[in-house]
Amino acid sequence: MENKILLKANLKRHKGALFGIFILTLLVAAALGTVLTVWTNSENYIGSELDRSGYGELTAWVENLSDWAGLKNSIEALDEIGRVETQSLIYSNYTANEMESDSEGQLITYIPTENRYRFFGDDLSGYTQPPESILPGEVYVSPSMVSMFGIKLGDEITFPIARAGKNLTLTVKGFYEDVYMGSSMIGMKGFLISEADRATALDLIHNAGIDALSRDGAMLHIFPAKESGLTVSELNSLLNEQTALAEYTESVHSKDAIAGFMLILQNAFSGILLAFVLVLLFVVLIVLSHSISSTIASDFVNMGILKTVGLDSGRLRLLQLLQYGIPASVGLIIGFWLSVPLESMVINATLTTTGVLIPATPSLLFMATAFISILLLLALFIFIRTRKIGKITPMKAIRGETDGTVTKITKPAAFGSNIHFRLAFRQLLSGKSRYIGAFVVALLLVFFASLVGRMDSWLGPDGKGMMDAFNPADHDIGVQSFGELTQEEFEKTILQYTDITDTYVLAMPTASLNGISYTANVIDQPERFHILEGRTCTADNEIVITEFIAANFGITVGDTVTVRGDSGSGEYIVSGIYSCANDMGDNFGMNREGYLKIGRDHPNLWCWHYFLADSSQKGAITEALESAYGGDIHVHENTWPGLFGIISAMQALLVLMYALVIVFILIVTVMTGSKILLAEQKDLGIYKAIGFSSSNLRLTFALRFAIVAVLGGLVGTLLAAVITDRIVSSVMKLAGISNFVSHPNFIGVVLPMAVVTLFFAAFAGFVSGKIRKVPLTVLVAD
Amino acid sequence: MKNTILCGKDIHKTFTQSGEETQILLGIDVDIYEGDFTVVMGSSGAGKSTLLYALSGMDTITGGSVTFKGQEISKLSEKKMAQLRANEFGFVFQQTHLVSNLTLFENVAVAGFAAKAGNAKEIREKTDMLLLKMHAENAKDRLPSQVSGGEAQRAAIARAMIGNPGLLFADEPTGALNKANSEEVMNLLTELNHDGQSILMVTHDVRAAMHGNRILYLEDGKILDELNLPPYGNDDLKARENNVLSWLSSLGW
Repeated sequence: MENKILLKANLKRHKGALFGIFILTLLVAAALGTVLTVWTNSENYIGSELDRSGYGELTAWVENLSDWAGLKNSIEALDEIGRVETQSLIYSNYTANEMESDSEGQLITYIPTENRYRFFGDDLSGYTQPPESILPGEVYVSPSMVSMFGIKLGDEITFPIARAGKNLTLTVKGFYEDVYMGSSMIGMKGFLISEADRATALDLIHNAGIDALSRDGAMLHIFPAKESGLTVSELNSLLNEQTALAEYTESVHSKDAIAGFMLILQNAFSGILLAFVLVLLFVVLIVLSHSISSTIASDFVNMGILKTVGLDSGRLRLLQLLQYGIPASVGLIIGFWLSVPLESMVINATLTTTGVLIPATPSLLFMATAFISILLLLALFIFIRTRKIGKITPMKAIRGETDGTVTKITKPAAFGSNIHFRLAFRQLLSGKSRYIGAFVVALLLVFFASLVGRMDSWLGPDGKGMMDAFNPADHDIGVQSFGELTQEEFEKTILQYTDITDTYVLAMPTASLNGISYTANVIDQPERFHILEGRTCTADNEIVITEFIAANFGITVGDTVTVRGDSGSGEYIVSGIYSCANDMGDNFGMNREGYLKIGRDHPNLWCWHYFLADSSQKGAITEALESAYGGDIHVHENTWPGLFGIISAMQALLVLMYALVIVFILIVTVMTGSKILLAEQKDLGIYKAIGFSSSNLRLTFALRFAIVAVLGGLVGTLLAAVITDRIVSSVMKLAGISNFVSHPNFIGVVLPMAVVTLFFAAFAGFVSGKIRKVPLTVLVAD
Repeated sequence: MKNTILCGKDIHKTFTQSGEETQILLGIDVDIYEGDFTVVMGSSGAGKSTLLYALSGMDTITGGSVTFKGQEISKLSEKKMAQLRANEFGFVFQQTHLVSNLTLFENVAVAGFAAKAGNAKEIREKTDMLLLKMHAENAKDRLPSQVSGGEAQRAAIARAMIGNPGLLFADEPTGALNKANSEEVMNLLTELNHDGQSILMVTHDVRAAMHGNRILYLEDGKILDELNLPPYGNDDLKARENNVLSWLSSLGW
């Protein structure tokens, strides 16, 4: 009973601080529950949907093959292969909302009986029944087309099937879930069409002959035999060696790789948010620590008295544990509960970027584990922080001894010019343990805000950082001819707008390295590759590989590999490691001479890349070239439609993060500030008695927090400058980006510290409003 | 004819706790004269400290008015009141109430800056001079927790004096001191008064009260009587003590 009475009294007495703990744990649990559920559900869902929709362990995209059955049979004849399923498709470029696609689309014939796809309702709020059929003239697209091209129902998408304006124009009838190409991170897009439209397109392709712009193709879903012990890479190698698959391959991807492409966005943003939540959890511990110290200091006498009536330290510590454990538990429970609708909101809000509707169903086991883990962490922390209670003796309490007696003089002197600042600094130094929490919180928040800010500055307002990471070499504009059009002809058009300052050619054929198919970036000026280690491939028997290929094969600079192209194979020395995140780093680089030893040359293979004197003319040049040469040309700028989704997501993340930062600063300042004000009542009375106004005292109080925030912010900023690139690089490697180097401008560096300082000072000013109410009679109370 | 420096008219003070009102001051009229060492005495709970804090503007009053040098201070804004405290009032409390993280020197100097009592150099010099005068110069670089009660209280008087206050308020300044320290503090206050400093002091200590030249006796929220004396030191101390004691005795002390 006495425990109940004491606990009730403690909860009432410290209700402000305990409410702060409740809010902080609620925010942490809500964010943690949301991030972890989105993360794990994304991974599980993509995996299970790839299985359900019939993707094999390996899926090969093939083209221009007349004998599908023959290839399928030859693959199935291998002992290691269980079965092969075929899905026919047509590769075609497309134009949507007057924007030309950067990558080819795949027109996939919809066969209702296969039950491969899920369809969304018109408002994208959830699933609907699959259509019984897709009518001629209709097309179903991924919701990511909304963020990439601004597509809406009823819009038209034009597929240039052959030259001379032989297009297939389809109207968007609805949206479907594409678990392979649905993410806006992936340039290639799938389009579900009717059998009649496929037949029409095939007719146009066949009749056009060499004027065809689109190609017939298929997806081969390859399933290994049950008894096969080969890895996916070994399987790929086996297929390239023992079948003709490589001759027709557009690309080959494992199921894991496909899931990896689809999950780049979720994983990257979930990773960042998870790290942020862990920082916030650390902040909660700091705030808790400060609150416990203050509570013990203010309840010192009460605890001593309770000891005189027979309560021991263990009981008092248990009461403290319950006092903090109750609001923390309630905060965690409500936070995890709130994470369920939050998950739905996040998933629905990001549908047009991720392309998939991840189930929002929380895992109860998972939530319970997270809840218990955090609670145990908090309990252990509270238990450790309440050790001081053991040192309280009844006599100490009765004598009024506390830990708060100042016995050490702290410099600088609290007078001279600018007395408010000096006083604030002096009060800060002499009571520094009270401000350590705020200092560490400022440090962590500024560090994290700086880290994300650096990522944002790397990305840049137009996404150049990410494009440079994905491209094997930089450029302003790339032009590839599909017909007789020559380089000189389209350069004339470019020169009408601006001078060309530099140029190189690049091809991206598929080639195998040690038996496994990859994209080969073939360039005539290999010095343009972004080399991380070693040197670029200048000789015709040299290649450069990404860190990911190096890790996959366990090879490094100086090793020899076998590269097979469409006309032969050869031995090549790895001369360097380079950076290119395309295909999540599954690519390698060669020079032109090196490739032509094993690959067929063709004028249309090469894409001309230009650097422009005035890069702002890119858009106008693209439009001019497309209108002049139509389907005979493919023009791409150093961007792709999905980039805007990523930039928007990054900006949304920044806004969300700053919002959380501000809420945390508010709570930390209110909790810390209130305790400090309570402890300084007498000093405040004294200052008032000697003529300081409330405004003066509020100013010095806010200044203390501003100084703390500046100091914490400086350390946080320095820390971010030193370790951001290393930390982010290690996270970015998940997406194939290994050369993350941030170059924020001055404002980018200073902004996080300025925001954190400003809010600390503002909230401290707000909290210090209580100073007005400090009566001078506080000095009479003695 | 003495000049009135502080004037209280019909001062009422009521405390309300748990909805229950307690009247402490019941319409007090009082004038404090320039150059006087006025002492307020009375039995415990008579309202002595309440009157001091009402007259000094440190606490609000429920009714009436307080005027300092012709300016009604009970209606001043918080900011103006702070200015008044910095420039015209000095306070000495029973507990020394020094800021715990400042040295004695800094405690005095900070008040000097608040009162804008000169530039930094002048304030430092004046602080040194006051601490010397208050015999606290040897402890000036120590924190309040590192000095004796007497040293702390003398530093508190120095702090009260640094702004050249028009009126020095002292609330039981010897209440927490031993006899020797009490004697020293009272002598210092007397010396200040002889130099022209107006002082209003509350005490229940007859020996301390004897240092005043005017003693007001408070009973049940009203001034019951007053005793005027010659300046301290100008008469026989024994006779002065007997005079005060017999006056107090006549009032039921």
